[in-house]
Amino acid sequence: MLDVRARVIAVDEHPLPYFTLRLGVPAGYPAVAPGQFVMVQVGDRLEPYLRRAFSVYDIGDGEDAGGSPSARLDGRAAPAVDAPGGVEMRLLGKVIGRGTRLLGASRPGDEVGVLGPLGRGFGARTAGRVAVVAGGVGSAALLLLARRLATGDPFDVFYGGRSRRDLPDADRFEELAEASGGELYATTEDGSAGRRGLVTEPLRERLAGGFYAHLYACGPMGLLARLAALCAEHGVPGEAALETAMGCGFGACLGCAVPHVAGHYALCCKDGPVFRFDEVAW
Amino acid sequence: MTASDPAPRKGKRSRSAHARSESPSAAPPAHEPAPDLRVKLAGLELANPILTASGTFGYGLEFAHLVALEKLGGIVTKGLSPQPLRGNPPPRVCETRGGMLNSIGLQNIGIDRFVSDVLPGLKRYPAKVIVNVFGRTVDEYLRVVARAQPHPEIAALELNVSCPNVERGGIEFGHDAEAMRRLVAAVRQETDKPLIVKLSPNVTSPVELGLAAKDGGADALSCINTVLGMAVDAATRRPLLNTIKGGLSGPAIKPIALRIVFDVSRGVGLPVIGIGGIETWTDVVEFLLAGASAVQVGTALFRNPATPEGLVAGLERYLRETGTPHVSDLIGKLELPAARAPRPAPENAPVARSPPRGGPSRVR
Repeated sequence: MLDVRARVIAVDEHPLPYFTLRLGVPAGYPAVAPGQFVMVQVGDRLEPYLRRAFSVYDIGDGEDAGGSPSARLDGRAAPAVDAPGGVEMRLLGKVIGRGTRLLGASRPGDEVGVLGPLGRGFGARTAGRVAVVAGGVGSAALLLLARRLATGDPFDVFYGGRSRRDLPDADRFEELAEASGGELYATTEDGSAGRRGLVTEPLRERLAGGFYAHLYACGPMGLLARLAALCAEHGVPGEAALETAMGCGFGACLGCAVPHVAGHYALCCKDGPVFRFDEVAW
Repeated sequence: MTASDPAPRKGKRSRSAHARSESPSAAPPAHEPAPDLRVKLAGLELANPILTASGTFGYGLEFAHLVALEKLGGIVTKGLSPQPLRGNPPPRVCETRGGMLNSIGLQNIGIDRFVSDVLPGLKRYPAKVIVNVFGRTVDEYLRVVARAQPHPEIAALELNVSCPNVERGGIEFGHDAEAMRRLVAAVRQETDKPLIVKLSPNVTSPVELGLAAKDGGADALSCINTVLGMAVDAATRRPLLNTIKGGLSGPAIKPIALRIVFDVSRGVGLPVIGIGGIETWTDVVEFLLAGASAVQVGTALFRNPATPEGLVAGLERYLRETGTPHVSDLIGKLELPAARAPRPAPENAPVARSPPRGGPSRVR
């Protein structure tokens, strides 16, 4: 875990309220497991005072990019990182309050504090076809995972949101899933993209068909609880990256309690954010 | 001891935090050795006056990779009870302007696991380990104290009598002078370790509670615990904490903490550890001037885990630049307008056994 000053390379805007923050972090940045997160300090003012938690959406690690020392994402040439030999880290944000609004308004050259990588990421991949389920901005915790999955057995992506704009990176997930021999199942509640309805509907059909050996998910707690029940019903193991209110991100404040089936409270930041479905008392 | 220890001072000049009567010496010549950051407090000798606050630093070891533990004057553990506690249901924290509310509910591993699993690992750090003690009854406090007492690595005890987030116990000792006196007196019988009592700001007269703690045998007081507060979400029309109310911490509470440190340090006659929104070295200097002999850093650690080492460096620089040889020369040295200077409380002011009801007590 490192606390680094990262420089803003650019902010890529998606349809509001989403944005991708592209940061340059120093070369030799620790390896990031899919599902891990960072705590980002926004400015040095009293509001926001605490850091904000963001999944590491993407990071150029040289490994997936063929060992190139410069940051490469998805095998495509990445824009130059301003620190020579540095690595580009991307965070997918949704403007929901003052902190995310300020981050979304960052300008190239701005500095932000980035503490990470933090927490327990997704486990080692299992053999066989797997499902990746994203609810809205939950996709932020799943892109790195999808990139790792793209080289193995086929995986399908189930990506749901209220409306078209809530699937800001559907194209990338579709590309990755198809590269693996899988496909994208997009749903929106208003029918503006993909199938009208909830993301659990196409998933339920595919689970019933016995297609999946494992399921990975991130999204609102309500969705994750439904997925846990669905997986239990179909005997499919799964894991999810959880989002909770969080104070510090590194196990000090004990603020991010997650009820554990064993009866105690686990910490989202340290014991998670990725939990197996059967660990959480939904 | 390490090479970073301050050089020995000339002569036999006391470095005691209580050596307040000494007049400040003239500005030192350029070759003067590094300022002396050591403070003596309730029998504790600290390498510097910067400690971490209970509940913000786990049990000390978790952050060895993030914080230079060897730079700290001391570590105050998360509140420990006789048995592990589960804590409150989420959501337990929310941010507010300039701070945060928490309602953790004293989730902790219990004193037994602390002693067996954590304490051995803390031995190799010079920072003094202060165990924060919590109980729901006098007996529970005594059980924690009895387990801590045999371990010389535990340098002192801090009694948590003011957690606002647990349903029963704790808070009554912090809010009722007679209950406070009885608890501290009972604990005093069980330990010869320095005994620090952490005062609540959520009372009319913290001085009165401080006097009761002193009467019971406390060696020092820490001020303040969190300020009872609450936050509401206009969009959902719900409180932001599961327990509705919680403890406010962070820069938002600093003026309250300074006021109480000022009052308690003058009104009780015990050394005071200042806590509340401390984030910069100027905050540290302000608390020392107001009467604190040391400070604890809490919520600022969440924003920047390296805060304490920055405070130590900043404080040292301030002392050098102002020609102040000892950090203890700052303690209580606030300069007051002559007409406004409060009269010091009598050294052995009687403890008000039954606080007057119906309004704040008058200063005679």
